[in-house]
Amino acid sequence: MIGFLIRRILQAAIVVLLVTVIVFILLRAIPGNVAIAILGPSAYRNPATVAQFNAEYGFDKPWFDQYLLWLGHLLQGNLGFSWTLDQSVASLLGERLPKTIILVGFATILALIVAVPIGLWQAVRRNRAVDYTFTGLSFLFYAAPTFFVGTVLIYVFSVKLHWLGAEGPQGGVVNDLTDWRDLLLPVITLALVTIALFSRYMRSSVLDNITEDYVRTARAKGASGRRVLWRHVMRNSLIPIATLLGLSIPGIFAGALITESVFNYPGMGYLFYQSAQKQDYPVMLGFIVVVAIATVVGSLLADIAYAVLDPRVRYV
Amino acid sequence: MGAIPSWRRSAPRHRTATRLFAVACGTALAITLAACGSSGTSSGGTGAVSAPTGGTPVKGGTATYALPPSTTPNYIFPFESATYFSVANSEYFQYLLYRPLYWFGNGASPTLNTGLSLANAPTYSGNKVTITMKGWKWSNGETVSAQDVVFWIHMMQAVGASDWGAYVPGGFPSNVSNVTAVSPTEVTMTMNKAYNPTWFTYNELSQITPMPMAWDKTASGPSNCTTTVSDCSAVYTYLDSQSKDLSSWASSPIWSVVDGPWKLTSFNSDGNSTFVPNPSYGGSPKPSLAEFQEVPFTTEAAEYNVLQAGAAGGAGQKIDVGYLPSTDAPTKPAGATVGANPVSGYTLDPLYLWSINYFPMNFQSTTGNGPVIKQLYFREAFQYLMNQQAVIDGPLHGYGFATVGPVGTYPATNYLSAKGKQGDPFPYNPAKAKQLLSSHGWKVVPNGVTTCTDPSLCGPGVKAGQQLVFTLPYATTANWIEQEMTQLQSNMTQVGIKLNLEPKPFDQVTAIAGGNCVVAHISCAWDMADWGGGWTFVPDYYPSGETLFLSGSGANSSGYSDPMNDSLINQTLTTGSLQPLYTWQDYLSTQLPFVWQPNGVYSLTEITNSLRGVIPQSTTANLNPENWYFVK
Repeated sequence: MIGFLIRRILQAAIVVLLVTVIVFILLRAIPGNVAIAILGPSAYRNPATVAQFNAEYGFDKPWFDQYLLWLGHLLQGNLGFSWTLDQSVASLLGERLPKTIILVGFATILALIVAVPIGLWQAVRRNRAVDYTFTGLSFLFYAAPTFFVGTVLIYVFSVKLHWLGAEGPQGGVVNDLTDWRDLLLPVITLALVTIALFSRYMRSSVLDNITEDYVRTARAKGASGRRVLWRHVMRNSLIPIATLLGLSIPGIFAGALITESVFNYPGMGYLFYQSAQKQDYPVMLGFIVVVAIATVVGSLLADIAYAVLDPRVRYV
Repeated sequence: MGAIPSWRRSAPRHRTATRLFAVACGTALAITLAACGSSGTSSGGTGAVSAPTGGTPVKGGTATYALPPSTTPNYIFPFESATYFSVANSEYFQYLLYRPLYWFGNGASPTLNTGLSLANAPTYSGNKVTITMKGWKWSNGETVSAQDVVFWIHMMQAVGASDWGAYVPGGFPSNVSNVTAVSPTEVTMTMNKAYNPTWFTYNELSQITPMPMAWDKTASGPSNCTTTVSDCSAVYTYLDSQSKDLSSWASSPIWSVVDGPWKLTSFNSDGNSTFVPNPSYGGSPKPSLAEFQEVPFTTEAAEYNVLQAGAAGGAGQKIDVGYLPSTDAPTKPAGATVGANPVSGYTLDPLYLWSINYFPMNFQSTTGNGPVIKQLYFREAFQYLMNQQAVIDGPLHGYGFATVGPVGTYPATNYLSAKGKQGDPFPYNPAKAKQLLSSHGWKVVPNGVTTCTDPSLCGPGVKAGQQLVFTLPYATTANWIEQEMTQLQSNMTQVGIKLNLEPKPFDQVTAIAGGNCVVAHISCAWDMADWGGGWTFVPDYYPSGETLFLSGSGANSSGYSDPMNDSLINQTLTTGSLQPLYTWQDYLSTQLPFVWQPNGVYSLTEITNSLRGVIPQSTTANLNPENWYFVK
């Protein structure tokens, strides 16, 4: 197991490095002039400012030199400086990441709490009305764009019914945890797609397990239906969910980006959205590094969880 | 899959679950029907909406102002470089705290407002100008003095070329040979020649924001920028670094020294700002509100959701001054100032800025189309196919004005010539466009591609067989631009001009065409481009054209060059009367250095009916919350 972990960590580092190279190249390949994107067209009043910007931020050097410079800073823990927000990228991410973690965390927990029983119930009641209904809803929410779902929820619960806030909690993390009326809609918006996905997998997994020999054996030994379902089927059925959870992290962060924009929620996703609009590359790269690390860590945790849940699985 | 276990077929528990499920579905359906059927907000009625009147003014209260989407202040030092030169930093933030020397904006008129200025109107004598300060106070008790003006000008002399966003080579302060504080209240400047006083006041002195002596320091302690220009670079570096520490603004002993009507009490990097009245403010009126807040939004849609929810008395924040996304605005009836307002409890007031709108054609294009673009008859034909009124009536929902030349048409000013007041000099006329092309050697092929058949008539550099095919990148920031471009492309097909439209992000379009490609050393391989925004006359309030239209100017993105135009512009800079301005604009409006396009509304402002003093809004983009007050 230790050997497995070491190998996976080394692989993860290589993956993250490759991701940064690809993203760096893609950002540099974007048409347009970064200096004008940052300085604005008014810089053309005095063209010398464009040359000054390019010299100051290394845009007059080959892209590989620029990358090595950035990588060197990264390895020293320096993610760079935002050209538009005038803060270090690390401090910006430090401010915004907890808010996104709260949003993503609550959404994921909600998704698990809702999706697992729904998937179980669908499998138990397969080919009945309830199964068809939840299947239809799953397809609907899985196909519906996040911004659309969020906008509809705002319209119904905020504008029309006045039950909940139209924007996410503003201010710091403490506000997020106390201002539940403003947090609820963004969490639900982000969770709905995940619920749709997880419930389908859970249904499929329960259906696979419910017909296994061990279930018949357990019943033959006198176990009640409830005991068989919750003590035996459930645990085995959760294995793919654990794997899926780890692999869903990039998708959940992507959904958070859109959700944060719709709900005016100043998290990391919104930060990336702002930076992408203004070609603020240091922030974009910092965001990509964080998400890449989260993805590989998520994948690793998924594999470890798999081994924990299934004693037959042993890594060497 | 094997046999279904028998326990799954047992009934009672699952009937209960099924009943619960049915109840849940029914509840969800009821909620949805209730939401769709409720009368939370209703249409604001039809026709023009006038500002509410009446009510008893109350002192105090907190007014919340929604910032434009993705717009947050990020620089507090009122000496910002091009990176920070924006309305969000200057007019929406710094000016609340630090008054510029001269304030421009009299209600909706973009004229000098001496009442809100730190000095009396400047007096001119030949090439000398004298500025007399009024003696207002900084919040630390010091007087806003002549030395504070000199402080800013010295800073400009030291670092302006590289670090002042409105710097123009050869402009202020290069055109000032001497500046002296002759007394605590009087500054005299000697210019390198006698300039048009209006131009110098509106376009040069307009840039100055006096700075307190408390800022004349570096990290080591007090400095002498006010008396010694060579000390200013270090002072600038220090103040610039302090300004970049956003988290320290509200508590900073530097930035807390203000002379404006407001003090900053809190700010976070998200852009949420809270201001309270500055009791030392020397101007009038003094703020009536107890607090003024600016709140940021990611998108127009996010702001509109909060505006609607708050208007309906829902949970969450209520916005007192927000905006209606143009895509949600009902079309304004012709002749009316404003159309129906879909948000009840609010007054809709369109805000147009003192500006013109256009997109450049590249006279220096290296695609092969440069010689064609240089032909005036071609530009006239092109302009005749730009149906500005149709764009205003359609994509802009009635909220816009035609651009008739280099001087704005709204608000009405005496800067606009009699000819300009007559309206669009090139009203939509495809027949005229066709006639212009065919009379200049072009074989016009409607719905095809027009080609030059007689180069001697087509013009110098235009070859036989040259086709009228152009690439036109445009910014996708605003829906109306996209619709306008589609309409223009369709109009062009009537005379066989083929426009290859390329939708692009705003930054890419401005990178291509925001500046003179030769002067800025960028690629000239483009024909025309539209970023949708044109030019706003801030802080160059006098529309004399030297920044946009002089030969070799960096912002002259079309590369238009005409000795007559240059001569006429220079006359506007040096002659005191308005006649040179009229002569120049009448000449240039028909020379078509740019393609004039409709000037759309800047903001469809929504003002809660219990808040007064917001209207009339300033066309110079200034915010004056000290004029606002609640009524009950």
